[in-house]
Amino acid sequence: MPAPLINLIVFLLGGALAGIVFWPGRGLLSRSRRGRMLASRVQLEDALKHIYHHEAREQTCTLSSLGGALETTAARTIAVVTKLQHAGLARVVDGRLVLTEEGTRYALEVVRAHRLWERYLADETGVDPQEWHARAERQEHALTRAEADALSERLGHPRFDPHGDPIPTADGSVPVDPVVPLSALEPGERAVVTHLEDEPEIVYAQLVALGFYLGMVLRLDARADQRLVCEADGRKIVLAPLLAENVSIQRLPAGEADVMVSVESSLADLDAGESAEIVRISAACRGLERRRLMDLGLVPGTRVAFDQRGLSGGLSAYRVRGSIIALRDEQARLIGVARSQRVKAGEQA
Amino acid sequence: MSDHEQPSSACPPAACAGCQHHAGNLVKLGVNMERFDYVVALAGNPNTGKSTVFNAITGLRQHTGNWPGKTVARAEGGFALGERRFKLVDLPGTYSLLSTTVDEEIARNFILFARPDVTVVVVDAGNLERNLNLALQVLEITDRAVVCLNLIDEARRHGRTIDHRRLARDLGVPVVPTVARTREGIDELLTTIEQVATGETVCKPRRLGKGARKVEQTIESLALDVEQAFAGVSNARWIAIRLLDGDARIEAALETGELTDVAPGIAAAVGDGTLAAVAVNPAARAVVERARSLRWDLGHGFHDELTEALYTEAASIADRATILDAEGPDFDLDRAIDRLVTGKWTGFPVMIALLTVVFWLTIAGANVPSGLLAQLLIDKTQPLLHQFGAWAHFPGWLSGFLFDGVYLATAWVISVMLPPMAIFFPLFTLLEDAGYLARVSFNLDGLFKRAGAHGKQALTMSMGFGCNAAGVVATRIIDSPRERLIAIITNNFALCNGRWPTQILIGTIFIGGLVPAHLAGFVSAGAVVSVALLGVVFTFAVSWLLSRTVLKGEPSSFSLEIPPYRPPRFWRTLYTSLIDRTLYVLWRAIVFAAPAGAVIWLSGNIHIGGSSVAEHMVSGLDPFGLLLGLNGVILLAYIVAIPANEIIIPTILMFTVMTAGVAGVGPGAGVMFELDSASDVSRLLTAGGWTTLTGINLMLFSLLHNPCSTTIYTIWKETRSARWTVVASVLPLLLGFVVCFVVSQVWRLF
Repeated sequence: MPAPLINLIVFLLGGALAGIVFWPGRGLLSRSRRGRMLASRVQLEDALKHIYHHEAREQTCTLSSLGGALETTAARTIAVVTKLQHAGLARVVDGRLVLTEEGTRYALEVVRAHRLWERYLADETGVDPQEWHARAERQEHALTRAEADALSERLGHPRFDPHGDPIPTADGSVPVDPVVPLSALEPGERAVVTHLEDEPEIVYAQLVALGFYLGMVLRLDARADQRLVCEADGRKIVLAPLLAENVSIQRLPAGEADVMVSVESSLADLDAGESAEIVRISAACRGLERRRLMDLGLVPGTRVAFDQRGLSGGLSAYRVRGSIIALRDEQARLIGVARSQRVKAGEQA
Repeated sequence: MSDHEQPSSACPPAACAGCQHHAGNLVKLGVNMERFDYVVALAGNPNTGKSTVFNAITGLRQHTGNWPGKTVARAEGGFALGERRFKLVDLPGTYSLLSTTVDEEIARNFILFARPDVTVVVVDAGNLERNLNLALQVLEITDRAVVCLNLIDEARRHGRTIDHRRLARDLGVPVVPTVARTREGIDELLTTIEQVATGETVCKPRRLGKGARKVEQTIESLALDVEQAFAGVSNARWIAIRLLDGDARIEAALETGELTDVAPGIAAAVGDGTLAAVAVNPAARAVVERARSLRWDLGHGFHDELTEALYTEAASIADRATILDAEGPDFDLDRAIDRLVTGKWTGFPVMIALLTVVFWLTIAGANVPSGLLAQLLIDKTQPLLHQFGAWAHFPGWLSGFLFDGVYLATAWVISVMLPPMAIFFPLFTLLEDAGYLARVSFNLDGLFKRAGAHGKQALTMSMGFGCNAAGVVATRIIDSPRERLIAIITNNFALCNGRWPTQILIGTIFIGGLVPAHLAGFVSAGAVVSVALLGVVFTFAVSWLLSRTVLKGEPSSFSLEIPPYRPPRFWRTLYTSLIDRTLYVLWRAIVFAAPAGAVIWLSGNIHIGGSSVAEHMVSGLDPFGLLLGLNGVILLAYIVAIPANEIIIPTILMFTVMTAGVAGVGPGAGVMFELDSASDVSRLLTAGGWTTLTGINLMLFSLLHNPCSTTIYTIWKETRSARWTVVASVLPLLLGFVVCFVVSQVWRLF
């Protein structure tokens, strides 16, 4: 029997090697799998999408912009474009890349798969918003037409993805809404966020970190050269004009907005013995989770009282309509209550 | 009226219009109406005592199973009133019928498509608002309903009286107050059901009121379309609401005519959402298209507004029907208990104390019955079987194969497994019915969340201490598939009942044997408890690891209703749990343990080149075994005894005798046995070359090795994924190898 020390060392080295090769997501095996995926069809589809997005924004698409988007060499880019031409999906006109009708149809299918998958991730899984786009980028190539149709049906034929982009329908039409960026607001105006641009990713990540989400109601307080100051969900947000360009909003008529912005505290702020009335459930609470909360009786107008805190932290129990419901802090924070209505036990409500 | 003696395939289509319940759809949903006249559905929120009502009505005439194609349990039973026979189907407990979880779909689809003659909605009198939300939704779908106002004794205790006549007037359907636990009001409930089923009582259910909501016009106009397209449909408004909510199932049902019997007898599969190729009604298609375009304009807010409207309605009805006592509620027993059980300082000690009591009762209580069963099945019956074999002139090998192999393993599993399970599970169910387990989940959620898992895993883990397969089935309570998988994969680390004898015996010999006799009992108990706690540690650690790597994702939402404390139905629970568990153990013993016994006997008795197959395998596995701090005998025992952990020790003893050439011990080759005293076992194992290290590593390996074959089979049935079943089986095994290896090398360093 070889010395135990040698055994242990061999074992640890072997374990490290196995980890390097097999670690999910970062190991050699999964990297090579991703590399292989970057072959043919995936690149073609990404190219189609790129050209399509440029056309939708009425920008010109050249070989160099495509090469940058695909992150590949000029030679490879030319190969991809040649394949597109042969397949009758795209044409080169005056140095610009243009999609044919067939190509547009194909691109729309890919875009549809992408946005449906983002909608699915947002509504039915707990995946972090910053990961939606990256995951959908991978999944859009894997979904067949039939699978996309089934997914759309299961989600209830959603009209928009969680960034607010319209989801192309099965027959290839895209509902178009006029886009108003946040930077177009005047101080004092109120609006609701309808779209968050998901590329470039750094900008989107910053927006999410600042607390932006679809359906958020905000009011523009002030604007200066390098910054805009908004108020939403009871706190102030400062952002650069570049970020504001990527947020699309819809102006709200004055009366309606007043009710919504007055919420200043959430269920998570309730202390022992306090009760309050629910004003609204934040739009950041989506899909299945939102429905479940409402089914349990947490709807605007309901009186909720704090009952007790979980012993290992992280969640609390509340008395709702005669029953006791336990919610985690993240969920309680999404339920807005009216501060002036917070009442200690024994006081008149 | 329906007097069907056979399923609908024998009826002419024209008869469908006059029939109350839809026998054809019932058959598709797995409900056989052959000997019954009427079908009654039982719906309600969770925690309303619905199953108590069900049991009170059907007594013992019930059986449980699953809904076709789903892993959701279903109970059905029957009762008779005079000449009429009623079938009662228990629908899954749901908070609402609007959302899209599996439970809600099943409940909704049954009421909608099977069209039961009566739907009974069980309502918790102390929680009227939320329960009325469901009742109102049911009344939107069907107009033959009865409200069973249950738990009125609890409401009385909390200072509320419900004016059920007022409630009945407001709802438009009969309301029967009951206390199901004591059968108060049940007879009246049955009579009311009969009256509604036979049409004696006609209900005029309240439909969702009209308010000043901007979606109201949309609903009304679409409802008109539906009525025009399908003359005579009774719940056009509800259909319009579902279409506007984007309910794909209703869209499909409209198009194929399933909802409206425009084209009866078309085979659209009920309950799983798939459509066969069917003829589509063009008028229906037009309505659906119109609904879709209207939906786009309505946006997300529609569902919210609908739910709000329902609740406002429910609240006002509840308000009018509730009379609060002037003096306020009596001393609140619930809060007092909660202060003790979930108080800051007392919560965890109480939890640990209760679990310890449950385990102690199981181990101590199972001892004598296990011994008696072993005496009966093995000591007495086995020689009789051998005598029979001799009388029937069985060749020696056949006798040995059947009676020493197959029968012995089966009998062993039954005698070791049955008593502990028969004690542990009733105790567990009692705790659950009393409402305590929800509080355990509540208190441990913080820990599980930090490990990337769900608080309800606390419950499935505790159940796993009784039986891992039962723990895997229990994971159905976890909604998120990702967290459910984590709970399933880590369930194996809960030390199940079948492994306790191994742990106790080895702990006594190898750990208790290290200390002076007066401390031995205490120390060996401590060792076993440490191993169990180590299992809990591994559960958290592996959950954390899984949620960071292959099962990545954000924690899902956690909303748990904490029910009030209720006295459990002691004898009834004991009885049903006992029957369930006994049948389960018998099934498992026959299906899994018997073949294992065959394999064990064969391995000991088939000889190749002078020694038995077992001896060959042992010597082959020895090097690897020793590397791990175990030995070949242990590894072989674990291979052949995959089906059942209970027979590990007897198998080990048998193989040790064989390979160590110890004479005079044990009944012979290929026959498992047990020794009477721990010291006898100790002597035998030492003769087989065992050391303290072997003992310790056996305890660790027993904790960490792959799940037993019943559990593997259950995992496959629950997940339907070969990939995850393999992961769940192989991961613990690899972990076991790694841990044993590291321990043995470190041990040998010193």
